[in-house]
Amino acid sequence: MREFTLQELAEFDGRDGRPAYVAYNGKVYDVTESFLWRGGRHQAMHDAGRDLTEALELAPHGPEFLEKFPVVGMLKEGGEGDAEDDGG
Amino acid sequence: MAKVAREMVERAGVNVDQLLELLIKNAAAELTTYYYYTILRANLIGLQGESLKEIAEVARIEDRNHFEALVPRIYELGGKLPDDMVEFHNISACPPARLPEDPNDVMAILKVLVEAERCAVRGYTQICNMTAGKDHRTYDLALAILNEEIEHESWFSEFLGEGPSGHFMRRGETSPFVSKFLK
Repeated sequence: MREFTLQELAEFDGRDGRPAYVAYNGKVYDVTESFLWRGGRHQAMHDAGRDLTEALELAPHGPEFLEKFPVVGMLKEGGEGDAEDDGG
Repeated sequence: MAKVAREMVERAGVNVDQLLELLIKNAAAELTTYYYYTILRANLIGLQGESLKEIAEVARIEDRNHFEALVPRIYELGGKLPDDMVEFHNISACPPARLPEDPNDVMAILKVLVEAERCAVRGYTQICNMTAGKDHRTYDLALAILNEEIEHESWFSEFLGEGPSGHFMRRGETSPFVSKFLK
């Protein structure tokens, strides 16, 4: 299974037809097909291509929503941590 | 735009552009849900379906009321609805509540209804969390809508066998919480 650095993950931002990937707890999920991730943006607060492990703690839903999507890789050791600065 | 009203919210530390995006997406969810529920309600027929039709209708009308109540706040804060209705549909905060493949499958319709309500409960909880103690008017509105969405979820979840909700259906009125924003 492919390993992603945060920098590599950032390329999958869901914009301009690119796939939308997000990381959670070390796993990288492909959310491209999700209605709620259209254009690589989710609920005005989250962008694809990021590690959402910390952000999900504050979300009004749990990881079960992410776990429905295919896992396409793992986040490289030391590559974890929320890259978002909006905290949402 | 209500210039000072927006300024007060900004000064309280709310990212108003982010809040507006959420309000617009949730307004889209309400109007599209009103549309999709029209189709769901029309297909709630037969012995099983008829028992759900009344609450589906109340939820449908109240979701339209939520859209109506949200719009003034969006413009007050300096936002606007998209010019294009298709764009508005596609930015919805919740997935389309489409009629299931088998329109005679009442349980499948019920699952669509309850998932739509659960999406709304999550959305307004997020707006309440973001505005509590900072943007009193948006908080008041989001809380009023949240109260109604929670009741909708409760009605439908009872039919799914998830246990009693403690709620009773409306008695001839609609939007007991949101109606103050519609006057």
